[in-house]
Amino acid sequence: MDFLNSVFVKPFADMVAAPDFLLQVLWEGLVAGVLYALIALGFVLIYKSSRIFNFAQGIMVVFAALTLVGLHEKGVPALLALPLTLLVMYLLAVAVERVVLRPLINQPDMILFMATIGITLFLIGFGEIIFGGENKVMITEALYIPTGSFEFEPFGGFLLIEQKDLTAVVGAGVLVAVLLLFLNKSRIGRAIRALGDDHQAALSVGISLSTIWVIVWFIAGVIALATGIVWGARAGVSFALEVIAYKALPVLMLGGLESVTGAIVGGLAIGILEKLFEIYWGQPLLGGNTESWFAFVLALIVLLFRPQGLFGERIIERV
Amino acid sequence: MKRLRTNLLLPAALAAACMLSAAPAMSEDSVSLPNLSYRTGPFAATGIPLMNGQRDYMTMLNERDGGVNGVKLGYEECETGYSTEKGVECYEKTKATGIITQPWSTGITLQVLPKSNVDKIPILAPGYGFSPMADGKVFHWAFNMPASYWDGASMILKNISDGNLDNLKGKKIVLLHLDHPYGKEPIPLLEVLAEKHGFTLLPIPVGLKEMQNQSAQWLQIRREKPDFVVMWGWGAMNAGALTEAAKTKFPMDKFVGIWWSGHDGDMASVGEAGKGYRSISWSVPVSDSPVMQDIKKYVLDPKKTEIGEGEFDWVFYQRGVLISMFTVEGIKAAQEHFDTKVVTAEQLRWGLENLKIDDAKLAEIGMTGMIAPFSTSCANHAGHAGGWMLEWDGAKFVKVSDLLQADESVIEPLVEAEAKKYAEANAPWPINEDCKM
Repeated sequence: MDFLNSVFVKPFADMVAAPDFLLQVLWEGLVAGVLYALIALGFVLIYKSSRIFNFAQGIMVVFAALTLVGLHEKGVPALLALPLTLLVMYLLAVAVERVVLRPLINQPDMILFMATIGITLFLIGFGEIIFGGENKVMITEALYIPTGSFEFEPFGGFLLIEQKDLTAVVGAGVLVAVLLLFLNKSRIGRAIRALGDDHQAALSVGISLSTIWVIVWFIAGVIALATGIVWGARAGVSFALEVIAYKALPVLMLGGLESVTGAIVGGLAIGILEKLFEIYWGQPLLGGNTESWFAFVLALIVLLFRPQGLFGERIIERV
Repeated sequence: MKRLRTNLLLPAALAAACMLSAAPAMSEDSVSLPNLSYRTGPFAATGIPLMNGQRDYMTMLNERDGGVNGVKLGYEECETGYSTEKGVECYEKTKATGIITQPWSTGITLQVLPKSNVDKIPILAPGYGFSPMADGKVFHWAFNMPASYWDGASMILKNISDGNLDNLKGKKIVLLHLDHPYGKEPIPLLEVLAEKHGFTLLPIPVGLKEMQNQSAQWLQIRREKPDFVVMWGWGAMNAGALTEAAKTKFPMDKFVGIWWSGHDGDMASVGEAGKGYRSISWSVPVSDSPVMQDIKKYVLDPKKTEIGEGEFDWVFYQRGVLISMFTVEGIKAAQEHFDTKVVTAEQLRWGLENLKIDDAKLAEIGMTGMIAPFSTSCANHAGHAGGWMLEWDGAKFVKVSDLLQADESVIEPLVEAEAKKYAEANAPWPINEDCKM
């Protein structure tokens, strides 16, 4: 009876008893969710256009953040370091297309996936040679990201919203909106979607595969930079940032690998639900750290009923 | 470009030089001292200064004195990236020539521990690894001097209770720990102490993927309102925790970390906001000590190696120097006892078991004030040296306490019981009850 009470009654009673705390949990979940969605978008864009699961997305986050901080350390002003970092990410996209992807056209998906593991290992080594493995401080203030906090007293309680978290949520939201506009309204965006729908058909109407690959890898680089700035502002910039990319895997399983909407909805859902579960069920009943597995279990349950994910395309193959 | 030169060209040149000159000398007048280092991967930021300090002390002795009593110190690193699998590979690769191994992670230590009995290679895990390794009767080949994690936990509690653990009665202490064998190390002792002194212990784990985003953990801390938070963090987890603590306005004077949670490099991203945070430490940086000045003169100034800006004064860099000192003093003790120059792994084991690091010795080697005196014996492989509280002043760590000592009356029986349990679980396990070796 006690167990049933702690599962079905107490968590909800706690939520009602301390609504300010519930709001704080929801806010923290939203911030995490937006960031998960952002990382997942990087995966989705590349998968949509090339059917490649980009294992290198995590290290691209580290590489972009290290480039930004590294340039600033060399005396480049922050607002100049930002476009220069974007240029580096563009050059990286060109290099990946020329050196890795182009020679592997028409190879099985698994070969391309393995190639992205190769890119990961290369970027780890290259990044360590250029920037070293030491922890670096994100140039938050130099980028004019506010670092204060807003404090509210809802329901007579306490709610704290950090300005940099708010900036991250707004910034990520704007980035996602721009991306959606770009994908849906621009010619290149339509070409990316066409490639995602049918490679052969897209090629037959004159869409250049190599140009599109450079563009999507560059967009993934932009997303990586945004992610790196936000996460780097929390605990410094180091190779430890790479592991946060793995947080996007259940988002992709939940939302579907080729759905932009899936990445956004999946990211937000996982961010909020895993936080709620951890605080109200995980910590009191299971000793905590449920965030490391909750999202995967949730994704697994979804996959049992919808193998293509919530928003993925159903694939029907005739045999 | 400078970085490229340091990281790529310098090691390549050194490797080439080693191939040309060191090989014939190795067998005659040098000893191989492998270190299972981690300069890459998620924990690299912590590993780099520690490895640099170790390497530079050995290099300084080779440059200044020609090694130890005429024997060159062959310091060699095998990169593990803090991965247990790679660590075991490195151990296997280096065990044939090395006279010691340094696993550098509790995970790797636990894997290597049973192998050391067979391979007869001493494991040096200074201030880390498995706390019951302090029992030398059970763990002949393992050494965790100058203090075990349980010593660290005991010193922290002594400090926050103003010297009397009964003052903690009715209080709530959160243990914020990495969800990893390392992070769980203090739990057995803290549970015993919680029961004995009537405080509530609440362990809160932080997963590897959650190191940078600990909002859930700090929301729980906000809800639980603990009197103290004790941290067993590593790498990015430390900065992540301090960022959240500052954000949630948790009082920094109620937040204390173990010695691996007191790294200048981690604190840089927290800066002023981390002011007042303390960490127990068995080492204290003393940059103007004779040994540090010799490292500057013989290694850094002539650019034999390069380190990061400001790293020379860091707690971790100078701790690395002390760690290499343990090995070197072990070699010296073995050379004298066995009346030989090039010591074997078995002889070094004896040396490490008979360390006498007293005030006179520290003065002789130019390390006065950097570490508390301690000694080891057959039954005591941890040394149980004391430690100090270091406090972050916004720019660096400063010593803010007198020397603290762990309560061995509680730790010793626990070490004995847990060591025995380990031996039984891994039977047949050789036990040297009478210390005959």
